[in-house]
Amino acid sequence: MMGKSARAGAARPASQARRPNGEDLYSPFVDFLPVTGVSISVIGETGRQSTICASDPIAARLEELQFDLGEGPHWTAMHTGQPALVEDVTEGEHPEWPIFGAAVLRIGVGALFAFPLPMGAVTIGVVDLYRSTPGPLKPGAVATARSLAGWVAGPAARYAIQSAGAEIPAEMQIAPELRREVHQATGMVLVQLDTNATDAFFRLRAHAYSSGQTLHDVAHQVVTRQLDFRDLKE
Amino acid sequence: MSDTSRETKLNVAFVRLADTLTADFDVVDLLHTLVQECVDVLDTQAGGLMLSDAAGKLQLVASTSERADFVEIMQLNAGAGPCVDCFTTGKAVVVADVDASEAWPEFRTAALQQGFHSVYSTPMKLRGEIIGTMNLFRTSRGELNRADAEVAQALADVATIGILQERIIRESSIVTEQLQRALDSRILIEQAKGVLSQTANLDMHDAFTALRAYARSNQLTLRSVAERVIDRSLQINAGRLTGNSQRA
Repeated sequence: MMGKSARAGAARPASQARRPNGEDLYSPFVDFLPVTGVSISVIGETGRQSTICASDPIAARLEELQFDLGEGPHWTAMHTGQPALVEDVTEGEHPEWPIFGAAVLRIGVGALFAFPLPMGAVTIGVVDLYRSTPGPLKPGAVATARSLAGWVAGPAARYAIQSAGAEIPAEMQIAPELRREVHQATGMVLVQLDTNATDAFFRLRAHAYSSGQTLHDVAHQVVTRQLDFRDLKE
Repeated sequence: MSDTSRETKLNVAFVRLADTLTADFDVVDLLHTLVQECVDVLDTQAGGLMLSDAAGKLQLVASTSERADFVEIMQLNAGAGPCVDCFTTGKAVVVADVDASEAWPEFRTAALQQGFHSVYSTPMKLRGEIIGTMNLFRTSRGELNRADAEVAQALADVATIGILQERIIRESSIVTEQLQRALDSRILIEQAKGVLSQTANLDMHDAFTALRAYARSNQLTLRSVAERVIDRSLQINAGRLTGNSQRA
């Protein structure tokens, strides 16, 4: 079984599901994987990424550096939707992230593993793992990390919405990010704008935010064909 | 229904489920088959199967109809209805007359609007843990008879085993992984339905039928078909498929 928190989650009835705290979200990664620390970040309503939890100051610093510099394995995972695994940061050149590559050497980190948080074909954020010493993640550990990332994606997105202090309408409380129409609208918008699923989802969110509507309202208008993103001005 | 005809239908149902369980099967497809067979074999008109996600919230994974009004009933059911009561207690919940039930006003209104007068919710249990519920709806009042209730539970147990067997057990975390994978497959399927709905001008139910028909006729998993539809590497000829589509 994945862990105590996951077990409790599976057995806990929906009506009593409590709001997760940051530790609930990151602790399975440090409990079940050979890593030193973890931080989790998601893309917020305005399109900006924010860190929702970090297990220690080094994990927080690594995230901060990658955000400030706009480069690093975090961004590789975000843009490709695939894990970015760097088993030894001290070895060789890292042409994709030269500045971060130099900065990270001063922090005392050996290995970095970034996994996308998937919501179907959409990447809603990234979980960044680090280890103080170099070394690869074994295939089994990569599979576990992917599975944990999938497990944490929904609660992380929900946590981010709730932390932002946004009022969540009753109809959204069932599963704010998991309403079917949101996913269906993502598929429709990706065709309308000839883009990918992640971009389509964040266009939906951005439109909801800028027009003062809920994500579900906007999704409903798309699915019922009252709203076509081709008709919206940039 | 006479015992003989039910027995025949039941045998067919188990054979269909066994067929689904072979080779590279897709858990959403299996659950869809299961709930469809349940409705066909038992004296029920609609059904939906919910699995618990990481936060302990119930998500609709398979249903006899993908239409928005039925999905809405199931979502209300997961918020406050017999489904969540079944999940909470781990015991089957029988609602012989929806009209007379007072515990869940929103669910009652929605169910009655769709013409459903009785409901049966049965738990999906694995090693003492409740992983979801199967919900059967009838347009008439009254309880499922005991034999039908036992059949429903047996079919739900098959689905639970199926979730376990989707991949070879390689780690103890397998159950949680499979649940996660099933729920994520469902999101991919919804996104793919959106793509197909937009490109082929289908409603969401027909979009699902087209995806499933394509997966079946090409012996692919629903999940892999959904992924390819979303990344636009697969265009489904919906004109041909809508011709075959069956209203579930």
